[in-house]
Amino acid sequence: MTTIRERLRRWLGLGSRPTARISPGAAAVLVRELESTQEVEFDCEQVHQLLDQFAEAVQRGEDGAAWMPLIRAHLERCTDCRQEFEALLRALQASWA
Amino acid sequence: MTASQRDNAEWVSALRGPGEARELALAELREILVRGLRHGLRAWLEPDSPALEGLVQETAQEAVLRILDRLDTFEGRSRFTTWAHKVAVRIALSELRRKQWQDVSLDQMLEPEEGEARQMWLADSAPGPELAAEQSDMLALLGRIMREELTPHQMRVMEAVALRGVPLEALAQKMGVERNALYKLMHDARVKLKRRMAREGLSPAELMQVFETR
Repeated sequence: MTTIRERLRRWLGLGSRPTARISPGAAAVLVRELESTQEVEFDCEQVHQLLDQFAEAVQRGEDGAAWMPLIRAHLERCTDCRQEFEALLRALQASWA
Repeated sequence: MTASQRDNAEWVSALRGPGEARELALAELREILVRGLRHGLRAWLEPDSPALEGLVQETAQEAVLRILDRLDTFEGRSRFTTWAHKVAVRIALSELRRKQWQDVSLDQMLEPEEGEARQMWLADSAPGPELAAEQSDMLALLGRIMREELTPHQMRVMEAVALRGVPLEALAQKMGVERNALYKLMHDARVKLKRRMAREGLSPAELMQVFETR
């Protein structure tokens, strides 16, 4: 059984060690992004449309709606939307305090 | 202070209606938004600071106008005030990001400074010789796949957002496009890279083992 490295080197046709353009840390970030990538994802606008409904469901401790995992996946990936969700939750807490 | 006693229909009716009832509803809505924003933006600005209060007041004003403008789009799937807070929060964070990145040019966002480039692109740890060789091969693989699968524009945007942490919206503002367009561009790029890896028999999980081993 060939190792992943052997397959890689054969595929790349490497005779000598290549020059790295990207650090391992940055590559890890990129590969993590790829691992969680789905063919179908909610985009920022779809998430924004549902964010108020989602925030209320989270406040009630509900997690049953079929679209909620798509929102969660987007919020894990998209810092901008996650920050909006967190600020919205805090605003709601103030409203209902 | 407790939440508003109005239900959704009463909010919409009052805001659409004439006279004093509308003015009362507008004042109440503004007060609710101000309270929510003061709390919601605490992670961004010092509580009780002039900067926070200024942003809160400006945002509440703009949010009320936008809410009135988009009243027809409220579908009642949440409380009206939750929907209103959502509108206000987006306005506030958009403005905060704009201010935070106003002195950074688009070129600076897309092309790292020399010092930053060194930090990002060169090895940031010292793995053992065998691991270093394996990582080096993997880095060559990633570079090759990215060059072959992505457009130069996709590569620059992915580098800026995914690797250097430039906020999607800050970049979109400089580029004069919607943030959603950049998300779709990046999603398309990620899908292309993932499909290519699958065709080559490589899984992201395998690659992660190499890059996350220290």
